[in-house]
Amino acid sequence: MKKNNIEWTTTGIDRRHFLKGASTVALSTAAVGMPQFANAAGNVLKTRSYADIRSMDPAFSQGVVDEEIQGAIYNKLIQFKPGSEWGWQLDAAASIEQADDTHINFALRDDMGFTNGFGAMTAEDVKYSFERIIDEKLESTNKPDMSALDHVEVTGERTGTIVLKNAFQPLWSITLPYITGNIISKKAFEQAGGKIETKPVASSGPYMHKSWEPKQKTTLVPNPDWKGEAAAFDEIQIFHIDDEKAAEIAYEAGQLDFTRVSLGSVERLKANLPANSTLAEFPSLFYVWVGMNLDNPKLKNIKLRQAIQAAIDVPSIMAASYFGAAEPSTGIIAPGLSGHRDQSLTGIKANLEKAKKLMAESGESNVSLKISVLNKSVNVTTAQIIQANLAAIGVTVEVDLHEGATFWGLGEDKTLELVLNRYSMTPDPYYATSWFITEQAGVWNWERFANAEFDKIHKDAQSESDLVKRDAMYQRAQDLMEESGAYKFITHEATPNVYRNTIVPALRPDGLPLYRYFKKD
Amino acid sequence: MIGYIFKRLGLAAIITVLAVTLLFLIIHMIPGDPITTMLGPRATPELRAALEERMGLDKPLPIQIVLFFTNMLRGDLGTDVFSGRAVTAIVFGQLPYTLALIFVSITWAAILGITLGCYSAVNRNSLGDRLAGILSVSVIAVPAFVVSLYSLLLFAVKLKWFPAIGAGEPGNLPDQIWHLVLPSLAIGLSWVGYIARLVRASMLEVLGEGHIRTARAFGLPKSWITYKYALRLAILPTVTVIGVGMGFLLSAAVFTEIVFSRPGLGKLVIDSITTRNYPVVMGSVLFSTLIFVASTTLADIINALLDPRTRKGS
Repeated sequence: MKKNNIEWTTTGIDRRHFLKGASTVALSTAAVGMPQFANAAGNVLKTRSYADIRSMDPAFSQGVVDEEIQGAIYNKLIQFKPGSEWGWQLDAAASIEQADDTHINFALRDDMGFTNGFGAMTAEDVKYSFERIIDEKLESTNKPDMSALDHVEVTGERTGTIVLKNAFQPLWSITLPYITGNIISKKAFEQAGGKIETKPVASSGPYMHKSWEPKQKTTLVPNPDWKGEAAAFDEIQIFHIDDEKAAEIAYEAGQLDFTRVSLGSVERLKANLPANSTLAEFPSLFYVWVGMNLDNPKLKNIKLRQAIQAAIDVPSIMAASYFGAAEPSTGIIAPGLSGHRDQSLTGIKANLEKAKKLMAESGESNVSLKISVLNKSVNVTTAQIIQANLAAIGVTVEVDLHEGATFWGLGEDKTLELVLNRYSMTPDPYYATSWFITEQAGVWNWERFANAEFDKIHKDAQSESDLVKRDAMYQRAQDLMEESGAYKFITHEATPNVYRNTIVPALRPDGLPLYRYFKKD
Repeated sequence: MIGYIFKRLGLAAIITVLAVTLLFLIIHMIPGDPITTMLGPRATPELRAALEERMGLDKPLPIQIVLFFTNMLRGDLGTDVFSGRAVTAIVFGQLPYTLALIFVSITWAAILGITLGCYSAVNRNSLGDRLAGILSVSVIAVPAFVVSLYSLLLFAVKLKWFPAIGAGEPGNLPDQIWHLVLPSLAIGLSWVGYIARLVRASMLEVLGEGHIRTARAFGLPKSWITYKYALRLAILPTVTVIGVGMGFLLSAAVFTEIVFSRPGLGKLVIDSITTRNYPVVMGSVLFSTLIFVASTTLADIINALLDPRTRKGS
């Protein structure tokens, strides 16, 4: 770094810029004037998202990629608190309190407003933002996260009450601090016809949207009307790079300041970290498991399923597929969240003796099964280890690879046998259990697990305000899943990030960025 | 000549319709539910039905094909179901990046390849010819993705001479050209060798023909004979190969766009196929087919202009 600085100050132009100019002249006589340098030094944060954006409308945004941008340009009543523990902090709300199970009173700060002349943020904007998501006509894909909302009562210009149909604990961990909590300008959206696509019509956060180059990058710039703590960067460029390896190369080439890296690169980066960089590993919320279709006649025998559970050696998978960078999981709820179990019922290490005993008790022989897998190298390696594990108890496994769209349609396939699956997660256990209720059988509950007690826990725990009781309820729910013999939990994976020491990233406990809080060192 | 051009254009139109119809059928035959892929875990039966209707998936396949072509003639390729943007706008947004990549790659490859080929033919069996031969075969043997990765590691990571990702700032031509250097090197390199070998072989054949011997006997300058008489004929197979090569470069561009995180038609096709985003798939496929058909048609027309025997033969 020092050398570069010396070169820069001495000559005013480095090799890269010299070659850039020379090549420009040589390659194009049409080039106008002197070359302009896109990567000029400046107060610019260059970062990466793993996909292109889909929507800048909170009612239709599809997860973290959209939310990473929306979180910086829109305000919410409360935001996730950066750090190692899940929690929230006030954002647009000057105060917010739960009056009772179904009433939440809030008061907005008086210095919040929207860009493009759409005026101050009012309680009417909050009402509009939340109620449109549950509006049948809008067909919002994010409606389930607002499902408990009845309406928002406006009690003053900047005060109001969120009225719920029933108590809903995820309100504080998903609904308000995540996608559906983004407050938009009623006037701006109404002028735009009630919904928007990829171009925000008004911003209210510390940054505002400058441009979106499809399949390339989104650029944010400071919002001049923002009255809170000043934005730390003159520009945030979020490059949409699908491939983690390409992102790593871009980081090493100096074109990114912050990126998630692949688990397979963690060891290499630890041993040979790029100059002036930090590698930070975070536990992820994703959950990976091996599922068994309970409706498939081949897997009807619970002893066979239990034998499979006992035979799978998770530490081998952690070492070979995740390069030792992830930890084994005990269920679908990650550490740090209510409902996490310290131990699973079936254990982490393979117990071959027990597995063989269960096989013998099952009375099954010449068992041949197919494991369906999404075609990513980590999954293929995991499936091959499972194949070897199950061979040890006399079960032949064929690995059946699928590309994305085919794989995600497998839930409807009644002939599905084993499946290696991975779901995303938000920081509330309700989100995890919601896919495994009876109603979801054949949709997202691919194991076709049906348990009345589990369904009741899922329903009741949503509104349970006693956190100790709620924690126990979700632990019991995972016990029920495991007892069915349909699940062997593998890992929650991990989120390794690499970043320049010139920035101070603000991250959620699962390592995802909250750009509005990023600072310079 | 005009009749020949019309005949070629008519053929090009028929090829396009057939190719696009075939691709339409293939895309709809591959397994995978676009609605599940698009809506994700939050798909309700009502949302599924609405989306199915919006995408026209509730209609029989032949009707969908007819609708596609009818709408296409009106310039309407539908809308991207994720973002709601017009497919035409999406494709036209990506098309220039791919065209620029292909054009720059084939241009520099052709200039260098033809020069090397001529040099080798004129200086047959010299040390330079042998070196050019070794070099040509070597670069033909190296796949584009290997060149991509090594050029990235060397020129972007190690030397930091060129950018590793992106296509440059919009409106900043020098920056865009700068971002084109490594990707065009990656996909153009093997074509240098291919074109050089082809030009050398054609030149040697032409240089041995009677009219060239006659020109020599008349004492015409060597450079005149080589470039005015021999190269004009020797270039014919190269023009055809370059025309077809544009199509192959389209597929090479897919990988290059991914490795270099460049926007482009190839990346768009891959992303939209993965998500079964049918309107975008069809829009991208239509334009890819058009590029391929247009480049081969253009090559035929240039051939006919350079060699009147070609158009008479047809």
